[in-house]
Amino acid sequence: MALETAVEQAHGRVPITVLALDGELDASNFTAVVETVRGLYDAGHRHLLLDLTNLRFMASSGLVALHSIVRLMHGEPPPDPESGWGALHSLGQDVALGSTQAEVQLCGAQPAVERVLVRTGLSRLFLVHPDRSSAIAAF
Amino acid sequence: MPDRDAPGGPGVDAILAPFRGIGPTLSIVIDDASGERVGGTSSDDAPADSLARDIVAGPLAGGRVVAWGSLVDTPLAVASVESLAVALGIAHTVGGAGIADVVAARRIEQELAHGRRLQRGFVSLVAPDVPGYELASHYEAAREVGGDFFDLFRMRRRGRPLSVVIADVTGKGIAAALLMAFSRPLLHAAVDNTTGPAEALERTNRILVQERHSSLFITALCATLALPSGRLRLANAGHEPPLIIPGDGSPVLSIEVEGPILGAFDSLGLFEAEIELGGGDVVLFYTDGVTDAQAASGERFEDHRLLAAIEAARSELPGHGSAAEIVESIRAAVTDFQAGVAPADDITIVAIGRRRPSVRGGRRQPPA
Repeated sequence: MALETAVEQAHGRVPITVLALDGELDASNFTAVVETVRGLYDAGHRHLLLDLTNLRFMASSGLVALHSIVRLMHGEPPPDPESGWGALHSLGQDVALGSTQAEVQLCGAQPAVERVLVRTGLSRLFLVHPDRSSAIAAF
Repeated sequence: MPDRDAPGGPGVDAILAPFRGIGPTLSIVIDDASGERVGGTSSDDAPADSLARDIVAGPLAGGRVVAWGSLVDTPLAVASVESLAVALGIAHTVGGAGIADVVAARRIEQELAHGRRLQRGFVSLVAPDVPGYELASHYEAAREVGGDFFDLFRMRRRGRPLSVVIADVTGKGIAAALLMAFSRPLLHAAVDNTTGPAEALERTNRILVQERHSSLFITALCATLALPSGRLRLANAGHEPPLIIPGDGSPVLSIEVEGPILGAFDSLGLFEAEIELGGGDVVLFYTDGVTDAQAASGERFEDHRLLAAIEAARSELPGHGSAAEIVESIRAAVTDFQAGVAPADDITIVAIGRRRPSVRGGRRQPPA
């Protein structure tokens, strides 16, 4: 259930940070991905492309990661999935994202991953591109 | 930790079991109940298991442990001899961790075990009596507390339709279990007080979003079944699509009515699907713990194995795929596939079969 991540820089109309996910995104590693993005945001990265070309599997906890990543890249405190019950997280605002946000975009989702995104409606939060080059051109 | 008097009797061997194999580096100092130093060992003394037997079964039972050696930095003056036995068992499990870690680990473990028991209480239900139908279900908790739940109940309105809710809180752990505990009665009440499954899910979503109880999401599928007609209405918020297994042996159908997950969007815009269950038809609901189940090789169970397990029940079992046979066939296939590995995610399977009218003993019921 390993997941490897790689960070690369790309240049479209804006500087783009590409985070490539390789392996399986599930309950055992989704918080690590969120932490990676937190580090990127803190280091000044503002446009994130998640390259899912080599992501073979995404469990439902992967959705929590994607959601947190969008919030992080908006400069909002990401929800902490562990604090649960008493946490005062503002889910309402990200839902105001209802119109697709542009800071975080996706590319290369394989059928198994795309199916999860579509089934759960999370795909409506993202612009999803077929591959990296078309995604970079779209930023 | 247990704080009993001398355990003695048949419990001793069980308490000692974790000591087997603890090395000779263990050293322990023990005072009796009056505070007098009465026992102990230093590093090269007797093997720990015989020492432990002496402690627990012997005259020291009921005394106090003031220190134990190489496993700890500070004396633990409050431990009973019996709790020492338990803690050492854990210390053995976690290696050379300090006592603070051991105690903390033990506490977390106890809380999680308690959480799991509570959660099972929420999930394990008394199936309602539904004349003319067969209900079957299987629920298996993950290694870590997960967030699956299902609910089968007769609604309060005219005709007492059967309602089915199956849901999966994303993520794991206490947060998921708490959100499950919060959401289950919410969905139940919503189903009972709305005109249909789509509205019930919309209402639940609104509460989840507005009250912001958690950052987690919920996939949920909600259905109502009118009993005399077999008319099944359902709506789906991001959950695995249910399957219809026709009683006439024709291919399994997936009910592809989709909608977004609960808790992420202000409104869902759900549609309902409506189908009619005929005699011998089975409708199957499940969570992704089934299709995401993983073998030691890393391979996932996936849809094709699910379908194969259903077909096996239809072709090989005496009931030609009754609700109970289908649930059991899938459960067995997932268990075999995982080959003894505890599931990483909760597994929930629910099947509802409409009995064939010709089955004697099925007591034809007049409409309520």
